[in-house]
Amino acid sequence: MRKFQRNMFYGAAMALALAVSAAAEAKTLVYCSEGSPENFTPAVNTTGTSFDAARPVYDQLTLFERGTTNVIPGLAESWTIEQNGTLITLKLRKGVKFHANFKPTRDFNADDVLWTLNRQWKGDHPFAKISGGKYDYFADMDMAKLLKSVEKVDDYTLKITLNEPNAPIMANLAMDFMTIHSAEYAETLTKLGKLELMDQQPIGTGPFSFVAYQKDAVIRYKKNADYWGEKALVDDLVYAITPDPTARYAKLKAGECHFMIAPRPADLPEMQKDPALKVISQSGLNIAYWAFNTQKPPFDKKQVRQAMNMAIDKQAIIRDVFLGAGQVAKNLIPPTLWSYNDAVKDYAYDPEKAKALLKEAGVTTPLEIDLWYMPVQRPYNPNAKRIAEIMQADLAKVGINAKLITYEWGEYRKRAQQGEHTTAQLGWTGDNGDPDNFFFLRGCSGARAGGQNITKWCNKEYDDLLVKARGIADQAERAKLYSQMQLIDKEEAPDLKIAHSIVYEAMRKEVEGYKQGPLGAHHFKGVDLK
Amino acid sequence: MLAFFAKRLALTLPTFLALMFVTFFAIRLVPGDPVEVRVGERGISPERLAQFRHELGLDQPVWKQFLDYVGGILHGDFGTSVVTNEKVLTEFLTLFPATLELGLCAMIFAIIVGVFFGVIAAVNRGSFFDHTLMGLSVAGFSMPIFWWGLLLIMLVAGQWGLTPVSGRIDLIRFYFEPVTGFMLIDSWLSGQKGAFSSALSHLILPTIVLGTVPLATIARMTRSSMLEVLSEDYVRTARAKGLGTLRVIGLHALRNALIPVVTIVGIQIGTIMAGAVLTETIFSWPGVGKWLIEAIGRRDYPALQGGILLISGLVIFVNLLVDLLYGLINPRIRHGN
Repeated sequence: MRKFQRNMFYGAAMALALAVSAAAEAKTLVYCSEGSPENFTPAVNTTGTSFDAARPVYDQLTLFERGTTNVIPGLAESWTIEQNGTLITLKLRKGVKFHANFKPTRDFNADDVLWTLNRQWKGDHPFAKISGGKYDYFADMDMAKLLKSVEKVDDYTLKITLNEPNAPIMANLAMDFMTIHSAEYAETLTKLGKLELMDQQPIGTGPFSFVAYQKDAVIRYKKNADYWGEKALVDDLVYAITPDPTARYAKLKAGECHFMIAPRPADLPEMQKDPALKVISQSGLNIAYWAFNTQKPPFDKKQVRQAMNMAIDKQAIIRDVFLGAGQVAKNLIPPTLWSYNDAVKDYAYDPEKAKALLKEAGVTTPLEIDLWYMPVQRPYNPNAKRIAEIMQADLAKVGINAKLITYEWGEYRKRAQQGEHTTAQLGWTGDNGDPDNFFFLRGCSGARAGGQNITKWCNKEYDDLLVKARGIADQAERAKLYSQMQLIDKEEAPDLKIAHSIVYEAMRKEVEGYKQGPLGAHHFKGVDLK
Repeated sequence: MLAFFAKRLALTLPTFLALMFVTFFAIRLVPGDPVEVRVGERGISPERLAQFRHELGLDQPVWKQFLDYVGGILHGDFGTSVVTNEKVLTEFLTLFPATLELGLCAMIFAIIVGVFFGVIAAVNRGSFFDHTLMGLSVAGFSMPIFWWGLLLIMLVAGQWGLTPVSGRIDLIRFYFEPVTGFMLIDSWLSGQKGAFSSALSHLILPTIVLGTVPLATIARMTRSSMLEVLSEDYVRTARAKGLGTLRVIGLHALRNALIPVVTIVGIQIGTIMAGAVLTETIFSWPGVGKWLIEAIGRRDYPALQGGILLISGLVIFVNLLVDLLYGLINPRIRHGN
């Protein structure tokens, strides 16, 4: 086995050495990443760091178009949706090669898709328990509930039958957990008795092939010359694992890396002035909100919830807590997501009007409420406690005494989902770029005790539209329904939408062609060095 | 001597047991377990949560978990990381050479510079040199490693471009398979031109940062020990015999003054290991310190327990060696026995 590993390594190393000597001007792109991956199989992981490490190597059946959340063909070159959205027929791409790190004897086909799905779906799959065997995303996206059957019609045709119509499934198939693995590689490893290498020495069909990984130090990839799609523009790709953001910035300035993840907000002004660097930004696919428990008085009254929306100065929160790395939110989805309704008018900050509304609702002040804040920093919320303090001060101005409460993070979520709070901060980071992945947060199914709709708000009109949109394949049609839902949500005000964070990325001037995506993924296949 | 060794060895056993106990329970006092840390806003069904806890053995009573853990260690099994599913010992041994390389360089740097400064200060007692060096040593001793590291990165590497920022080697120019895990050796073995000097230049800043606190301690210890020795009769006799200053200081005084310094060096191993945790994080140094920091964040109990125990074991072992060495080099102890 050691020999196999060594051969794989030397093969890759020799190829790399040859490539380097053949082209003296070989281009190496260095990405300063923030940490080590758990391993290279996204299905068993949940962190962006791990997904980023697997991305160069793999493809999915559908892909997110670089820089957008649009779903485009990937290893499935086309598909049809029939029987009211419950039958999906996928036509797979022919002539797609797996990386030659092992000796594949055949091209990609339907067996590889079945292998990938079954590993996560069927507990008796030989690889089901490998690397911890926890398929969080497969479970979280309700795939087991959605999938009725997946049949291989022939080597390049698959039929997926769903238990209910679900338009977002094509976006689910583009997610990292649906990364397609080689069934033949799995067979080879099974014969060698080294199943765990599946997740440690990845073989995929992606634009780069894996070369080597040294924990906490470096991951190396090289260009896949046989890639079926748009080929990589650099010869070698190196992830230099650099956890400290100040060190990443210093490396970027010194030219030790070309691209860095997550610059510190405090460094941004200096970075933006540096002629050797460029900084790009985009609103993150997330939302921070302050949820009102609509099943507890006085938050069962719409006017009270609207008054809360008028009582808080959101601009002050953006300025003082997000330090510029955030934008005021008015809808549940960020403006980068299709179906965003810009016509929705947010509640203006108006403490006087808030007081009047409270009076109208029959609320006598001073009113005592609980204001829960998360004990941890989240991508959408840099400091929930500070936000709670600002809110507390604003609420005092309208005669509301908010008591700040927090719990240990696991406990916090559990209690909020049980509906023990009167008001609580929380948020969400999108998974697949489909609006349903945000709007379901206010659906009736999550409003039960223990469900993730912590407003416990269940509006029939909203929920009917949510369910209806899932059954429609046409994006424009769905967008109309989502626009309507955003209006209902604003009027009913089950929460106060605080902010969407702004994600910054910094790179050297010579990096060209990088497209920042709303999903937070880092893709380097169309990126060049000039 | 043998009895002394046996006694010291026997004393390490309760230390180990206490260590196992403290690390095991201290980690569990931190809120959140590996499963909760893994789950995000979406929440998790109670069934899945129970299943995960069961798989990790977290549904067992804590005392049983502890006994299983101790039992495992007695069989040489430090457990499996709940994040990477790798054996803790394998991960530790993969990463440890990097820590050892950095720790050794920092120690050598601290000893050479520390002893040199200490001697200069002692010989010139009360002079400007003495006051400056001892002032600097207080500053060095109280320097927060994180701040010091970032300052050096920003100034020396960033502003002046004298050294690389972080990492162990120039990743664009050099690529070779790790053989020993020690970058200086591996880069030498690779035969690639410039690899060794690249590895060496990457070691400069982390060595200075990690070596600063031990350096300050060693310098102060050397100074006070030297002062004591310099006032001894035999030094006066040596001077009276007409020996040169260098010979008196180097041969007669320093040799004797270094005896207590050896003990301090042993104790500094602990300081180095503690400092490595931060230094490795700042300098993207792939050693066990950085690994432990990540394990805390992810509540990777087995990695944390195993890692802390292995590092502590090493510190205990080195201190034991130093004790023995002390017995060998100190004639009073040797002859006393």
